[in-house]
Amino acid sequence: MSIVSEQEYQAKDYKSDLKPIWCPSCGDFGVVSAIYKALARIGRPPHEIAFVSGIGCSSRIPGYTTAYGFNSVHGRALPIAQGIKLANPELLVLVAGGDGDGFSIGGGHVPHAIRRNVDLTYILMDNQIYGLTKGQLSPTSPRGLKTASSHHGSLEEPVNPLLYVLSYGAGFVAQGTPADMPGLADIIEEGIRFPGFAFINVQSPCVTFGQDEHQLRVHKQKMKRLKDLSHDPTDRLKAMALAEEYGTELHTGVFYRDPAPRPTFESLVKERHERLLPEAGSRATILDIFRPR
Amino acid sequence: MRTDLIIGMAGSGGDGIVSAGESLMMALAEEGYHAILSKSYGSQIRGGESSCRLRVSVDPVLSPGGTLDVAVALNWDDFLRFGSELPVDGRTIVIYDSNTGVQPNQLPLGEVTPAVAVPVPIQEMARSHAGTDKAKNTVVLGLLAGWFRLAREGVMTGIRRKFAKKGEQVLLGNERAFSAGLEFSSANPLPVDVVMSPPKSNGKPLVLDGNEMCAAAAIFAGCEFFGGYPITPSSEIMHFLAKELWKYGGIVLQAEDEIAGIGAVVGASFAGKKAMTATSGPGMSLKTEMLGLATMAELPLVCVNVQRGGPSTGIPTKSEQSDLYQAIFSAHGDAVRPVLAPTSVHDTFQITVEAFNIAEEYQTPVILLSDQEIAQRKETVPPIDTSNVPVVNRRLPTQEELENYVRFRITESGVSPISYPGMKGGNYLASGIEHNEKGAPTAKGDIHARMNEKRIRKLDPLKLRRDLFVIEGDPQATLALVSWGSVAGVATEALHRARKAGMRVKLLVPKLLYPVSEQVYYEFFRGVEAGLVVEQSHQGQLYRVLRMYVDVPRKMQSLARSGSNPILAEELVARLSQLALDLQRERTSEPEPQLG
Repeated sequence: MSIVSEQEYQAKDYKSDLKPIWCPSCGDFGVVSAIYKALARIGRPPHEIAFVSGIGCSSRIPGYTTAYGFNSVHGRALPIAQGIKLANPELLVLVAGGDGDGFSIGGGHVPHAIRRNVDLTYILMDNQIYGLTKGQLSPTSPRGLKTASSHHGSLEEPVNPLLYVLSYGAGFVAQGTPADMPGLADIIEEGIRFPGFAFINVQSPCVTFGQDEHQLRVHKQKMKRLKDLSHDPTDRLKAMALAEEYGTELHTGVFYRDPAPRPTFESLVKERHERLLPEAGSRATILDIFRPR
Repeated sequence: MRTDLIIGMAGSGGDGIVSAGESLMMALAEEGYHAILSKSYGSQIRGGESSCRLRVSVDPVLSPGGTLDVAVALNWDDFLRFGSELPVDGRTIVIYDSNTGVQPNQLPLGEVTPAVAVPVPIQEMARSHAGTDKAKNTVVLGLLAGWFRLAREGVMTGIRRKFAKKGEQVLLGNERAFSAGLEFSSANPLPVDVVMSPPKSNGKPLVLDGNEMCAAAAIFAGCEFFGGYPITPSSEIMHFLAKELWKYGGIVLQAEDEIAGIGAVVGASFAGKKAMTATSGPGMSLKTEMLGLATMAELPLVCVNVQRGGPSTGIPTKSEQSDLYQAIFSAHGDAVRPVLAPTSVHDTFQITVEAFNIAEEYQTPVILLSDQEIAQRKETVPPIDTSNVPVVNRRLPTQEELENYVRFRITESGVSPISYPGMKGGNYLASGIEHNEKGAPTAKGDIHARMNEKRIRKLDPLKLRRDLFVIEGDPQATLALVSWGSVAGVATEALHRARKAGMRVKLLVPKLLYPVSEQVYYEFFRGVEAGLVVEQSHQGQLYRVLRMYVDVPRKMQSLARSGSNPILAEELVARLSQLALDLQRERTSEPEPQLG
């Protein structure tokens, strides 16, 4: 996203007056605050931002901002967001949702959004559980987890969102937690500024149905800043090696940032339009194509 | 001299039988004939059987017609696979390749003895004149042009145009094959007179199929975004737009699946663009949730369903009208969305533009129910004067409305001005969750009821759109026909024949199938005692929908048949005269009213 800031904005300018439905001290409060901060630093007016989500606790987030929001249907935020961005590439388009929305019901859309490289920032709030439906297994729940829908324990291996998106070819991959608010706002800002599809996994605890080892107090002890580990974010293979530790370690910061970003889908569209527009007649005479020669 | 001629041809996929039909049609169109070319295939990807049915007339053609006047079989196995799609009777002239080894008096046509059966060494002629089996279809063109005096020069010009790029050898071979066909026909005259009358007009019509018309009409209507996924028999809509829409600054996205295709369309519409998707039955099933979202978020979009045989994968290559229930009722919740159906390639222009206009005006998804018959048949279409065709755009908020913007304001019409991202002051939350007028999520029953009422009430004016209904025939008739989609052409032809035969009958063709316009049906059915609702589905879906909303006369019957089993005009006329007879009998046998 190329950013031209004309006016000073503050975090509160992006906060709507809707009261979140989230449980007290839900991790998502931290995420939305970090988004307000990042947007203020970017400085685009709220009406030039489209914020799209699917269904789930975290998918309520667009309504808590002053942007144009779209709280759509379960798992389909990415296709809708791509339609918006392609229809108007000037918009700043954010996508948000939970781990179930993104990697279970909507999992089929992720690789395609990435290979198209539409310039979106996808913030995934990962809490290893279904909260809105009251505590069932999510695609990132660990094997053996006992939940309402897995009384005898999960028999499935969890997905690894970070490794998935890296292998799909995402140009920007990062992870954060509300346990580190400044770090979270930083990576959201950086993701928005990245010219192309950016994926940010946020470990956002579910205080009601989540597991003890995924709460903020544990994050605080456990998290390791990639910066402190002197990780080189242009090294994709190293990023994948670190991503392998998802579920055991909590790395925060930028895993991978493509040093030579691929062209975005919309930039290729622009080139094509410039080439083809001179060929167009009037829409009113389109049927002439079918006149016999 | 004949004024109307139906030619059916079948062969293997590589025989180029459909391509021969197209060449002949183009040449006839240029001479001023009216024509419909329907195509039918087996489901094989390459090869397999393929057929076409060309109906040519000096008058406008309303339907593909019934029994063949001329049948061409390159081999009998392929011909017979089409069964009732290529019916032959005692009036038919049968031309077939003598390499099949079948004697003219032993054709594999069961009880039927055609008027004439002519074995022709088609393959042998192709080989000896063009050096390849590939020229069999060109030999057939020569035979048809010769015997029936059909556009000889035009076909030859077409052959030259088509093969010019393929090198001199191929071009000369095909010219010789065509001439061989012509010569064979003059050396072996048919024992019956089958020469075609000259055309009445010399106007140059457009020649195109329904999918092309739909796509072109979308461009005319201002479509800026198409998202879709390949599916038979609708893919050609995407193909045309993939070539043309970009030139107008539009975008065509081949999505990863049907859901993402309509998802991107919902997004583009939210962002303020006119947007469309196209699919067939299985894709409609997948798009159902997104259609509900568009209803709830009040976003305009056009969703084309080119119907094919169902349920499930069904018969992808054959026409059916069995997705009406799905179009009307598949959404969960109280979702009403307009459903439109064109009746011909020609009509597809107006109805597609109408679909966009209604979507934009009422901020709703519109389902356009085409069918494989219309979508993949070519028609001659008289040039369309587009200068008076209105193009409607969604109602945007004024500057004043933006100062205190309420996206879903309950207005008198139910339509609320709609903003789009980038518009300052128009910021709102679009959602599938129930929301209040400002767009804030709510679970309150009273708000839900009011919003439901608004979303449904805004479509009421559609029911008064009499221009979306065609009523023809004797207004005082007690006999009636109702039909829709491609089958409406057959019903129209039946109406004309029945009236010619002296029957008092009328016809109603709804192009707007939902919401049901009770008033239009009420007026039409006044005085009607009996008749037929004619459609190509097993259940008779329109008939049953009408029974749900309208006081349908007790003796209106359903004439419904599963896809690809043709419904013929002569059959409708026979049914109508039976109904007329029954009515008369009842009247005369009615007991005298008793006095006292």
